This record gives sequence, C-alpha cells and structure tokens, in this order.
Amino acid sequence: MEMFFSLTVMTVLIGVIMATVMLHVAWLTYFERKILGHMQDRLGPMEVGFHGLLQPIADGLKLFFKEDIIPSGANKVIFTVAPILSLIPALIAFAVIPFTGGSWRIPEQLPLLGWPVPFIGGMEIHPYVADINIAVLYILALSSIGAYGILLGGWASNSKYSLLGGLRSAAQVISYELPLGMSLVGVLLLAGSLSLKTIAEAQGGGFWHWYAFAFPAPQFIAFVIYLISAIAETNRLPFDLPEAESELVAGFFTEYSGMRFAFFFMAEYANMILVSCVGAIIFLGAWHPPFDFLPSGGLFGVAWLLLKVYALLFVFIWIRGTLPRLRYDQLMRLGWKTLVPLALANIVVTSIIAYFAR
Amino acid sequence: MNPASIYGRSFTRQAVKLLRTIFMAEILHGLFLTLRHLFVRSVTIQYPHQRPELSRRYRGVMSLLRYQDGEEKCVGCGLCEVACPSTVIKVVSAERDDAPMKRYAREYWFDLSRCVFCGFCVEACPVDALAMTPNYEFSTTNKRDLMLSKETLLGLGDRYFPEQPPKPAFVGSCESEMYLLSVQQKGYPSKAAQHPVPPSVRATAIKPGSVKD
Repeated sequence: MEMFFSLTVMTVLIGVIMATVMLHVAWLTYFERKILGHMQDRLGPMEVGFHGLLQPIADGLKLFFKEDIIPSGANKVIFTVAPILSLIPALIAFAVIPFTGGSWRIPEQLPLLGWPVPFIGGMEIHPYVADINIAVLYILALSSIGAYGILLGGWASNSKYSLLGGLRSAAQVISYELPLGMSLVGVLLLAGSLSLKTIAEAQGGGFWHWYAFAFPAPQFIAFVIYLISAIAETNRLPFDLPEAESELVAGFFTEYSGMRFAFFFMAEYANMILVSCVGAIIFLGAWHPPFDFLPSGGLFGVAWLLLKVYALLFVFIWIRGTLPRLRYDQLMRLGWKTLVPLALANIVVTSIIAYFAR
Repeated sequence: MNPASIYGRSFTRQAVKLLRTIFMAEILHGLFLTLRHLFVRSVTIQYPHQRPELSRRYRGVMSLLRYQDGEEKCVGCGLCEVACPSTVIKVVSAERDDAPMKRYAREYWFDLSRCVFCGFCVEACPVDALAMTPNYEFSTTNKRDLMLSKETLLGLGDRYFPEQPPKPAFVGSCESEMYLLSVQQKGYPSKAAQHPVPPSVRATAIKPGSVKD
C-alpha cells in the first residue's frame, strides 16, 4: 500500500515536470520568434492574444488538426516511429535534471485546519524524478538515441532531401558528440561525480564557485566548447545542415506534416531546453544565486535555474539571428580540428591541476 | 604558418590577427550588431489595424470623373486606350443624341487584373476625365470582378473626388481645340512644335484600317 501511494506521488511529480517542460517548449517557440523578429526590426507574432502571447496555442491547434500524410513510398512503421523516437528521449532526459536544491515534506496535518493528510502525509518530494549516479552519461546516451529518430525519419520518408538531411544529421551528431562529452569531462574531474545533483551542490556560494569560473581550473573554454557543440547537437543555426532550408527543402522532416512534424519540432525545442539545463547546472552553478546575499533555496532556486536556462536559450536564439549557416566541410573542420583538440587539451590541463590541487 | 610570413610582415599585426581569431572578434561584432537591433524600433505596420500614410499622388485604382453638374467629363477620344502600356482600357465612343457633334464614351471597360498603375492614361487624357484614386484594397476571389465597367469607374470617381470644377464655358464642339487648350493649360510643349512631322510621312504612314480596333 505504502508503495502504491509513493508511486502515485511519483507519477504526479513526473506529470508536473513533463507538463512544465512541454509548456516551456511551446512558449520557447514564441520567445524565439519574438526575439528574432525584433532583431530583424520586425515585431514577430502580434495577432493572437496580447502581443501574440497565445500564438503557441494557435500553432498547436493548427498542427493537431492538419491532415496526417504518409508518403506512398515511405516505410510506414519506421516513418511513424521516428518522430516518437525523436521526442521521447528528449523528454525522459529531464528525469535526472534537479530543478532546485533540498526537498519538501508533505505535512502530516494540514496547516491551519489541523486535519490529518491521509496516505501521503509525511512523504518526501524531491525536485527531480531520479538522482542517478550516472546522470551525465544518461543524458549523453539519450541525446544520441534522439539522433536515431532523425536518421530513421530521413530514411523512411523515401525522399532524397530527407535522406540527405538524415545522413548529415548522423554525421553531425557523431562529430559533435565528442567535443560535447569531452567538454563535460573537466567538470566531472573536478566534481568527482557524474550525478547532476552532486555537481550542482558543489557550486554553492557565489558565482566564483561556478565551474565555468571556479579556481583553480576555470572551465570557461569547456563552457564555450559545450555551447557550440550543443548548438550543433540540437541542429540549430548556424549548424542546421540537416534541415538546411535553402538546400534540402526542410531536411529530414520534408515529408512530415501535422502532428508528426510537430513531434520533431517539439523534440528540437525540448533538446534546446535540455542542453541549456545541463549547461546551466554543470557550468553555471545550477540553482545557486550569483551572490550569497541573494535569496536562494526552494522556489528561488527554481527561479535562478530558470533565469540561467533562459539566458542560455537567448544565446541560442541570438546566435541564430546573427550567424549564417556553415558549409559542410567547415562544420567538420570546426568539429574535428578545433573543438576536439581544444576539449582534449582542456581535459589534460584540468586533470593535471586537479591532481595537484587535491 | 611559416616563420617567414610572421617575421617578414609586422609581427604585432599577426599577433593581433591571431588574438582576434581566438576570441572570435568578428562573431562577437556580429552578435553585438544584432543585439543593438533588438532595441531598434521595428518598422512593421500592423496592416489591418494601422494603415500606411499614402502620398497625395498615390496611384491606386483608376476612376472616371464628372463635372459639377453631373455630366461625364469623358469625351470618348480613346487617347487613354492608346497610352495604356498593358491594353487595360477599351473605349467605345459614340455621338451624343442631344448634340450630334459631341461625343462620349458609350462603354468604358477597365481590366484591373492587368493594370500596372502607371498612370499614363491619366496623363494622356485631354479633358482631365481620369484620376487615380488612393484605393488599393480591391482583392477578390473572382477574377471577373476586376473587369470594371463605366458605371463602377464613375462611382469610384464620385467617391474619391466628390468636389469637381464646373464645366468650363469654352468647351465647344471641337475636341481638337479643347485638346490644344488643355495642353496650354498644363504647360506642355505642343506636340507639333516638338516633333515636326515631315510632309512625306503623312501620306503613307497611317493608313485607315492598319491599326487594329
């Protein structure tokens, strides 16, 4: 019985986190369109709701009621599975993200009224679904599975544009997963843990304790490498070769429409939020405020994390609004000849410093 | 980078170049440009809610005008038809029943779907019977709605140019006289003075029937 109720509480927690992530995904598209618009001296969405605030709902409704088309030459099973395979890993990766420090206890009795809380009273609620000791590996693994969705979707469409988009995506994800993973290794060496919770808790007490700036081995270069690889990993401009509009129509989702297209779209934005969360937690001190005297802990922690995540998302959109797309060979050269050696050098230097500083 | 190129040219310049590459100076420059534009006032006009301010000489749909007493200005000369570069206008001219020497346009067709809004018809008109209205909202789902009849054009003229001058007293039966007067009023150089036609041309160049309709 006890287990049943704790499972219920867990399920509700998962539902809350999922719903929050999905809402952020929806309004991230609005955020992006607004910022891009203003960067190009336009207004962005303005019609639906106050300054277009309800635009994501209108978009969602439209996509939901669109006709669902499967091309006659497509491999129907894989064509159907691919968008799901792309979205689900992006969402379940949020299981290991700690959104704030500490935990809450459900009171045994209701405050003021004093009534006892049945079944779930006294239960502990954590601001994360699971704190596993291989969280970073888990996220890296799931982000690789997300690439399968893109690759299979591109192949199953039976269209040359989709196939080219899928192939490019596979090559790009393989190339940029290396610097992405290696840029995290420095922090892992310093923190001595793969658990995001432990890494986050080690960064309390002012921004000079955040791993991007922390003495004796500031991981700032690793942070920049992480940012660049994360943009490539999520197929965002200037690394959006898998969906290069001017070359491949829409890349791997050329043949997708309606809700299936929306799944790919949501996967892209969920991945953006995910890499921003990981970046904020690993390099930017997670839920800790930049100075000790600022309010922290509990919901303030969530607010600080949200602030950092949105700052990183703004950088993503900012870069999209500024830089043109790379050529394919430039992309590969940047990945293999610049980022990988830099990340390796960072690991070597950090490990030497970490050895002597310990 | 071979040593010769470093020491051959200015070393500091090379160092600055290297530093600019390392710190991604050009990319940062671009990023600050877009960031600045984030705070620049946007140029969008929210069209159905806001309207653009049009020039006084804006050229929208063409219209036909009347004199103050309600009489049509058009004398059916067909010069607008000739002037039109995209053959939008078709004038069917006829004699007036009450005054046999005077003519008018019995039919006047204007194909808006082909109009390029150049305003040559208005400039060609000797009696100022045409004018461009500031109306640019004439989208329709039926292409045939864009074939405007004389009545529609006159209605447009009444709507956009309600105040018209009285009929001049000197308008006689002779259209050519009227044309010359108009030319003088507008201050154009007369055509005869501008392009004197050699006598040899007159006989052969224009034959009746050589111009289609």
